Amino acid sequence: MNLQGTLAARYLWGRKLRTFLTTLAITFGTLVIFGMNIVLPTMLQAFQTNILAASGQVDVTITHKTGEAFSDKALSRVKTVAGIRAIAGSLSRTINIPDGYFGRARKVTALTLTGIEPREAQMLRPYPIKEGRFLRSGDTAAAVITTSLADSLGLQLGDELHLPTPEGNVAAKIVGLLPARTLPGNEEVLVTLHEAQKWFDLPHRINTIEINLDTTDLAQREAIQRAIEATLGRDYTLGALSSGTEILASIKTGQAAFNLFGFLALFMGGFIIFNTFRTIVAERRHDIGMLRAVGASRRTIIGLILAEGFLQGIVGTVVGIVLGYLMGASLLALMAPILTQFVHLEMGLPVVRPVLILVTVILGVGVTLLAGLLPAFSASRVTPLEALRPSVAEVAQRTAGIGVVIGVGLIALAVLGLVSGHMGLTALGGLMFLIGLVLVAPALVRPIAAVFSALIALAFAREGTGTLAQSNLTRQPARAAITASATMIGLAIIVGMGGLIWSLSGGFLDILRRSLGSDYLIMPPSVGIWGSDVGARQDLAESLRAISGVEVVSTMRFAAATAEGKPISLLGIDPKLYPQVASLTFQAGDSRTAYGKLADERTLIANGVFAAQAGLQVGDTVRLSTPTGQKEYQIVAIASDYLNAKILTAYISQDNLQRDFRKSEDIFIQVNLAPDADQAKVEQKMQAILEDYPQFKLVSGKSYFEENKQVFDSIFIIYFVILGVLAFPSLIALLNTLAIGVIERTREIGMLRAIGATQRQVRRMVVAESLLLAAIGTAFGLLAGLYLGYVLVLGLSVSGFPVTYVFPYAGLVAAIAVGLLFGVLAALVPARHAARMEIVHALRYE
Amino acid sequence: MIYVQVENLTKVYGKGETAVIALDHVNLSVDTGELVAVMGPSGCGKSTLLHLMGGLDRPTEGRVIIEGQALNDLPDEALTRLRRQKIGFVFQFYNLIPVLDATENAALPILLDGVSPARAKARAREWLQKVGLGDRLNSRPDQLSGGQQQRVAIARALVAEPRLVLADEPTGNLDSRASDEIAALLRQVANQWGRAVVMVTHDPHIASYADRILFLKDGAIVGEARPEPRHAHNADWVTDKMRQMA
Repeated sequence: MNLQGTLAARYLWGRKLRTFLTTLAITFGTLVIFGMNIVLPTMLQAFQTNILAASGQVDVTITHKTGEAFSDKALSRVKTVAGIRAIAGSLSRTINIPDGYFGRARKVTALTLTGIEPREAQMLRPYPIKEGRFLRSGDTAAAVITTSLADSLGLQLGDELHLPTPEGNVAAKIVGLLPARTLPGNEEVLVTLHEAQKWFDLPHRINTIEINLDTTDLAQREAIQRAIEATLGRDYTLGALSSGTEILASIKTGQAAFNLFGFLALFMGGFIIFNTFRTIVAERRHDIGMLRAVGASRRTIIGLILAEGFLQGIVGTVVGIVLGYLMGASLLALMAPILTQFVHLEMGLPVVRPVLILVTVILGVGVTLLAGLLPAFSASRVTPLEALRPSVAEVAQRTAGIGVVIGVGLIALAVLGLVSGHMGLTALGGLMFLIGLVLVAPALVRPIAAVFSALIALAFAREGTGTLAQSNLTRQPARAAITASATMIGLAIIVGMGGLIWSLSGGFLDILRRSLGSDYLIMPPSVGIWGSDVGARQDLAESLRAISGVEVVSTMRFAAATAEGKPISLLGIDPKLYPQVASLTFQAGDSRTAYGKLADERTLIANGVFAAQAGLQVGDTVRLSTPTGQKEYQIVAIASDYLNAKILTAYISQDNLQRDFRKSEDIFIQVNLAPDADQAKVEQKMQAILEDYPQFKLVSGKSYFEENKQVFDSIFIIYFVILGVLAFPSLIALLNTLAIGVIERTREIGMLRAIGATQRQVRRMVVAESLLLAAIGTAFGLLAGLYLGYVLVLGLSVSGFPVTYVFPYAGLVAAIAVGLLFGVLAALVPARHAARMEIVHALRYE
Repeated sequence: MIYVQVENLTKVYGKGETAVIALDHVNLSVDTGELVAVMGPSGCGKSTLLHLMGGLDRPTEGRVIIEGQALNDLPDEALTRLRRQKIGFVFQFYNLIPVLDATENAALPILLDGVSPARAKARAREWLQKVGLGDRLNSRPDQLSGGQQQRVAIARALVAEPRLVLADEPTGNLDSRASDEIAALLRQVANQWGRAVVMVTHDPHIASYADRILFLKDGAIVGEARPEPRHAHNADWVTDKMRQMA
């Protein structure tokens, strides 16, 4: 190891606490980034495996752009293309299995039901039957499954397999068993195409065409693919399946938010490191001067400081990656049951992409080196003469510098942006506000410290220790300001996100009351992500209507579509019945005219997210791609309901859905009772009818609302816990600064003890300093957080979410509590250290 | 009147073969009104003796008795209170708090003792005037010369009205003129203001201000000298004595 490396290692080792804290700061930032970025790809992979596992090894897969079923005429058209060795059409759908459907102990949450033409399918890929026989063209009520599925359902060859379908419960005899499934993903149930079309009520329709080509030559294959594309037109997708984009979008949004937190955490880490290195340089002026005197070049000095940063950066990042992996893995383990339950996704092992490791290392080490750069340069400017001068602690007497002026300017601009109400300006203002506060902080430390120290002196630190703490703090206003800035960011996250969650939940509960306000809800297993739900034919709604005491039955139907190049959910409602049981929350347009037009013409109601993302307004026309070609729809209103508020959605009439999308399956049903109905009796009758439709669950509207409210309440708590964790770097920052301060003032503390300060007085002095520091950070954090929260809410409402700003009182209280708690916690170790110093050693300390 | 008594005071650092005897069965007593200088080569145990007398460190053997009270028996809390009320310290590097002004620095011990800030500062100002700094009451340490800083430290040592003042190389960091002034001031503290003052120094000229000089070598007292008035400020006389002891 060269001199710089040796010195760096020795110095780091000599200050174990500080090294530990600084490294911890880096570790934390990388941990968040790495951990969170494991979660996303793992979910994505699980998702893709589930969807794509079924397609196996074929050369070309054709689906409709909407993800919906299409006419089997497309198959005959493709067959005419030259160069195709084998081709088969199939109708495949995920069926969510309700809890306990196969008995309590059977943990099957979803199955893929695939209808195939047995002969064509066998030409495409081999089906090695282990027992029994494969499907035959004329089979009815026959199924082939794997031995692993048979085992997990406790079935044998010849037994009947029951499945929930839009037709109600159906049964198929198991005629053949395939080898156990080795890939992750849903188990497949193979039936004849004809049977599947019947069960799903999709006669002559398929949703996938699979093709094997004649050639392995790349150029020829591409030519064949182009020929297929030309034959089919632009409504079809070659290659991957396009369904399920809803889930992808929400996963990605969550990921972006967590990455932001990770960067903020790393940013705070950068602050902490910067503070540490500045201190290191100040503390070692003697050593550095001596090194310069004996011939070290400036470059050597810079190298020395950066070597320390590099060592810490590497160690911190490696530890962060390891802990991040553990965090990601345990998070996935925690989420797996929830995901399996709600979106029927089976999770695999955590996925770690090499590029993620690379990015994390670059970020972790990079931030450390960057933070060390300025102090390293200032170290290189230390002259050899410094070695000879006695070390006199200088008191910074900063006047308002250029930074403060710029900071004030930025804050003023930010406030102007806020007043303007313009989204872009306000968002930019948020950033300017934060930076402005950081710049102004050094000038504000003194006055704020004076105010708070009076408070603290009143509370407990009399005998002059309060004053001492205050003057210790203002001795290094820049350091105090940077620490306060780190605390500020941590607490701003709490207050800002608190404001956002508060506002969101207020808005959502309101919409929830409106859109799901009916007496009863009949819900499928997966709510919001409708694509994999199996619904029911109109018979179900009709038989519900027939119950005496039932006043209105309104149903919702679903189709996937693309509009303006974006995948959207289309919900079919009955414009006459729907307003009787529920109502959308209108942002633009009038409900009466909107429902009226929906019934008569090709019109749609866009929800807020859809309108905002596609930049649409009432009166605009959108082209929807449908299984029957492109269709133009006019927008009559912008309005949202509860279940689809986060997903790009449009509401159209059920007649139009039937005509353009060939979908008539009810996936969600709302029921209102007559005022004089016998509730218990009606409920009993509905339950009896639903026994044939196990995919549905009967829920009373009131209890559903209560349940959701409880979910919101528990989400609050979870969120605040997560945010508390994310504020953790501010605790490290406080602790680090205090520890630095105590070490730096060792001799002063020795003197105080010598002239008669008790251990308790010294401890109080450090605690008072810590509380002061935390108070300053909290004050800043509250300001920044309020602004941040407002920006987030404004951003969401502009992008179509139905939210209005609610002042986050609870967030404020939480932030103040966290600030005080951190103040006390951070002081524990340094205060103990200061109080227990051996006086004689402390007095000799250089 | 005997104010401080040191009996068989011994301090050993480390254990076994690496043990170093810093102080070896030292006996001495100091009266109020007396300035005692402790001299000796570096490493002879001067500072250790001072630290033990001031209750900053605990002896391996023997004891220090102040006003009839043995320090060994006191728990840390009581020892701290005793330091605050009965002992004043003066250090080589002054050890003033850079962010506090002269008055605040001088007032520290009684502030720590719970005296109200206004009264504490008034008393600090009195002492600063007595040590000749009446015109620099509100200056910060970095605005004061070394000699002035040491005067603040002496005012700080006296503000709680202790009977014992311990000074560790008080002139070690000063030029010769400032050194003389500080030495004269310490003599005034002892003779005029009736304190027992023990001063560690390696400068014969400064030692010559003392009423009594103790010579320390290898942790033991090897001799004692009492400069006559005609020897006052005579470094050569002290150096001669020192040679005789060695």
